[in-house]
Amino acid sequence: MKSKWKTMSMATVLTMLMLGSTIAEAAGVLTIGRREDSTTFDPIKSAQNVDNWVFSNVFDVLVRVDKTGTKLEPGLAESWAVSGDGLTYTFKIRDAKFSDGSPITAGDAAFSLLRIRDNEGSLWSDSYKIVETAEATDDRTLVVKLKTPSAPFLSTLALPNVSVLSKKGLEEAGEEAFAEKPIASSGAFTVKEWRRGDRVILEKNPNFWQADRVKLDGVEWISVPDDNTRMLNVQAGELDTAIFVPFSRVEELKKDPNLEVHIDTSTREDHLLINHEHGALAKKEVRQALDMAIDKKAIVDTVTFGLGEVANSYIPKGSLYHYAGNYQYPYDAAKAKAMLADAGASDLSLNYIVNAGNEVDEQIAVLLQQQLAKAGVTVNLQKVDASQSWDMLVAGDYDISVMYWTNDILDPDQKTTFVLGHDTNMNYMTRYKNDKVKDMVAAARLELDPAKREAMYVEIQKMAKDDVHWIDLYYSPYINVSRKNIGNFYQNPLGRFFLEDTVKN
Amino acid sequence: MMPSATNATRMNLPWSRFLGRHLTLATGAGILGLFLMVALTAPLIAPYDPIFQNADVRLLPPALAHPFGTDNFGRDILSRVIWGARIDLQIAVIGVVFPFLIGTFVGTVAGFFGGIVDAIFMRLVDIILAFPFLVLMLSIIAILGPGLSSFYIAMALVGWVSYARLIRAQILVLKNSDYALAAVSLGFSRTRIMFRHLLPNAIAGSLVFSMSDAVLVLLNGAAISYLGLGVQPPVAEWGVMVAEGQSFITTAWWITLFPGLSIVVLAFGFSLLGDGLGEWLGVRE
Repeated sequence: MKSKWKTMSMATVLTMLMLGSTIAEAAGVLTIGRREDSTTFDPIKSAQNVDNWVFSNVFDVLVRVDKTGTKLEPGLAESWAVSGDGLTYTFKIRDAKFSDGSPITAGDAAFSLLRIRDNEGSLWSDSYKIVETAEATDDRTLVVKLKTPSAPFLSTLALPNVSVLSKKGLEEAGEEAFAEKPIASSGAFTVKEWRRGDRVILEKNPNFWQADRVKLDGVEWISVPDDNTRMLNVQAGELDTAIFVPFSRVEELKKDPNLEVHIDTSTREDHLLINHEHGALAKKEVRQALDMAIDKKAIVDTVTFGLGEVANSYIPKGSLYHYAGNYQYPYDAAKAKAMLADAGASDLSLNYIVNAGNEVDEQIAVLLQQQLAKAGVTVNLQKVDASQSWDMLVAGDYDISVMYWTNDILDPDQKTTFVLGHDTNMNYMTRYKNDKVKDMVAAARLELDPAKREAMYVEIQKMAKDDVHWIDLYYSPYINVSRKNIGNFYQNPLGRFFLEDTVKN
Repeated sequence: MMPSATNATRMNLPWSRFLGRHLTLATGAGILGLFLMVALTAPLIAPYDPIFQNADVRLLPPALAHPFGTDNFGRDILSRVIWGARIDLQIAVIGVVFPFLIGTFVGTVAGFFGGIVDAIFMRLVDIILAFPFLVLMLSIIAILGPGLSSFYIAMALVGWVSYARLIRAQILVLKNSDYALAAVSLGFSRTRIMFRHLLPNAIAGSLVFSMSDAVLVLLNGAAISYLGLGVQPPVAEWGVMVAEGQSFITTAWWITLFPGLSIVVLAFGFSLLGDGLGEWLGVRE
């Protein structure tokens, strides 16, 4: 027994030493703890935040979104001009180099834009179908012709997924190898090593066109799935920063003198998806009654600890064309119950898909179950694995479920199209159908006059609210934590970390 | 070995002396009895509704109004722990009874008949034992869907193997004993010999084991619920409560501490009872 304990404690000490040594890092290397590891380094093959947030610092884009997340600013395109008919865009490409020293040309830019449109593995081809041609008339000039005028086009070029890649580098390495370790990166950092499932190790790209702006020698994105462990790692100084701070930990971390909690505006909106094809849920009155039966303020208080804000529109507050005056269904369980009875759905029973292991999701589920019970609605919680729940939503194998969305681009067109205007993804799994809304979404995309366009978006938000395409729950910020010696660590509302400005003292 | 005779003399002792000699057994039975009482009288003694959410009293530390504090929904932890006793005792009992019955039957039959019957059952046992216990449980529950009934079915399908092995080993020894041979020569039926003559003498070890098994089942039940596959919210169950409190462990320790402690104490009770029973029945661990 005694010797067994001895061996065990020895083993524990050794493991801890080893862990300690892998986490300790050279000065100037920023360590960031996050929930999950990256999945790929081929930008066109991912639509996940975990990947996009790393792409932003490895690849550069033609047009960037500024720190406030409200304006576009030049990236690899020094300047651009739009023809009078709104169909031809001419970009002047900056004199810049890839990390391997080769020049970034208009040819590379054209290649990257056409690749995201045409490549079979691209998850984003729909968004770029509008591009008719993209040509490099010389090394410094890129001419893009569109099929129709498009108000959101320029802002879609800021998406990390359409980053400028090295045509030569990609073709020499092959797509598969490039996705594992991208050579010739155009961003502030290059991928030094990717230990799958563990961490991504980036080092400064000396050939970056803004290399003098970059203070860090490198960055390590380390995956620490457990929220408590990740927070403890930062508190103990084993990590410089950690992202995805749980709402419940904010107050406590704020009190720690060694830490700084960053609450940055985001475009995240959490909502309750409703499957419009399931029985009584097809009736507008039933959906309105459900909206009235839900006390969003209680969710904000209980689940987000007051850090969130009740949502009144699918376009998040602070984003372009958000309609602050949008209608909000009052919380009234008794009236909801009466409305359900009038609609012949007084014994409504709903199947609620919950992501098992997601703290916030599970808390919302328990709250909503009780709130809806007050309106006479029986809610059966079905906890499933996150990967499985997505498939169930796509297959329509649910009645209600909570999901969220963070905007990828400045313009509201992308989310609107996904949520209200499309018919290929069943309006974000809700199976919502309203042709009037759909037509207006298409028209708003073509409208180049900002004032008229805004009026159209206000109208769309009103109609969507009236139809209760889904139930808007709350907006919430990005919450990250860093040690006091880390400066300029922040995220813009679209999620981009400006690591080129971050310093480690 | 004549366990029945020794038991008879021991049973004639007065209660006080019996308890004095079997402190372990008495303590274990006392703890279990206490939990059983709590579970039975839950509606009477719980101060609040265990699933009622009250946003005004969220995350209160233990105080007079809420002796065990409240959780993030403002639910009273004490009431939830009390109501949770019902579910967790049920888990421990049902989770043991079915494996016990199946295992005992299979073990007796396999041990008594030997040969091909024995070979078939014991290879089945080997197959089940080849898989890690929890992995097998999780896959069965994953197929059946989350919920307590799935847990019981999975438990019955997987848990019987230990009982089968224990009983079989005992039967193998006993079937060559004098009284078994005597019964055979008297022409009793096989069923009678198996279940009337051999089993009562073989079962003591399993009974003792079932108590320690109850501890494992209880912990498994809590673990399965912790993973979201067992008891579904908002029902109060200790494992679920620990899981729900996990994210608040550094800020509101009471959410996890009290249900966790209850699991430990109840498990301890079963353990003591098992040890005490073993001592009393003369079963060597």
